[in-house]
Amino acid sequence: MSLHSMNDDTTEAEQVLGALRQSMDGVTMDTPVERIAAAGRARSRRQRLAKVSVVAAAAAGLALGVSSYGNPATAPPAAGNSTGAGSVHIHTAAFSVDTKTDGTVHVSWDKAKYFSDHAGLQAALAKAGLPVIIKVGEFCLGPGDDASLDHGQGPGVTQVMKGERQSNGRVDLVFTPSAMPAGKQLFIGYLNAAQLAASGGRPGSVERLVPTGVTLNCTTQAPTHD
Amino acid sequence: MKQLEFSEFYEANRDVCLRAVLAGVGDRQLAEDLVAEAFTRAWTSWHVVRRHPAPRAWVVRTAFNTRVSWWRRRRREVAIDVVPDTPEVAPGDRGPDTGLDPDLLAALRGLPERQREVIAFRVFLDLDTKATAAALGIAPGTVTAHLARAVATLRGHFVSTDNLEVRP
Repeated sequence: MSLHSMNDDTTEAEQVLGALRQSMDGVTMDTPVERIAAAGRARSRRQRLAKVSVVAAAAAGLALGVSSYGNPATAPPAAGNSTGAGSVHIHTAAFSVDTKTDGTVHVSWDKAKYFSDHAGLQAALAKAGLPVIIKVGEFCLGPGDDASLDHGQGPGVTQVMKGERQSNGRVDLVFTPSAMPAGKQLFIGYLNAAQLAASGGRPGSVERLVPTGVTLNCTTQAPTHD
Repeated sequence: MKQLEFSEFYEANRDVCLRAVLAGVGDRQLAEDLVAEAFTRAWTSWHVVRRHPAPRAWVVRTAFNTRVSWWRRRRREVAIDVVPDTPEVAPGDRGPDTGLDPDLLAALRGLPERQREVIAFRVFLDLDTKATAAALGIAPGTVTAHLARAVATLRGHFVSTDNLEVRP
């Protein structure tokens, strides 16, 4: 290769890389530093609390931890978790349930294990003030209920629960028991493996607000791909 | 003190880190999520990052590593998603790739992962060959080879075959 053609190659490479760099000049990171710092602080707190929980569980010899984080009388509540009567902080291998000072209930799943303890989750949510029925492969409605679904969710569900993507990519569920209409409870129906295969995971679950105190009409017919 | 130092570091480097990671992953929204996660980790490990010889390379390297761990986790989760259809971009929000040439992103995504990472460090972080090699844990000669191959592939996107004129 001649010196001339080598120079041409170098110039061309510089042109290509320069154009590539220039093409992204308008790309800017919108996330404010406050959000990053807040996420960092929350993570540090969680890591400290996790260490405390591990030590406490080890000391008690418990595989299943049910704990309330007390606070000194002069200190504010830690990590936004609620304390005192009605507070629920349950951490198992499959899920964790924490009531917050703002009245919401935060549920984190280990999705790989989420089929393993539905009864435990149902009991934990009920204890946290959120009546819920959880089923796998069955989908229930109250008599005369609106059967429509929007992305797997029935009318009104978004007021009571929402997904919250964490900075680590995981999706936690945030429930607001106070938003539950009187006489209603949350129904969560998870598609079983065969139903998931048919739906392609969209939806992976069905959530509805259904009436309490009546017999629900349930079907094993999963919602179709939406 | 930590807050001030970190804020200055973030403000000075967030855009360039995002562009580097975007070059590496070829997806605007994923890149922003990864960079936010990497800066969050930088915040929690600020005592380490502030003394790092190339802190923004640390951020970009962490973003790439995070992508691998997210991908592995997603593989384990298969189709089981508790809220599979939660909208990630609210109505009216900017779309994930607005302002970018979709053909360019496709061209970047078509490159092998290592070539994209070399572009991220060499072109967008402006590291030299030796520093890029150190950041990626490969030989300097390998960096040069990957960059040359990437340029050869991208040339068709940027350069007209008639006159070798770079597209506006």
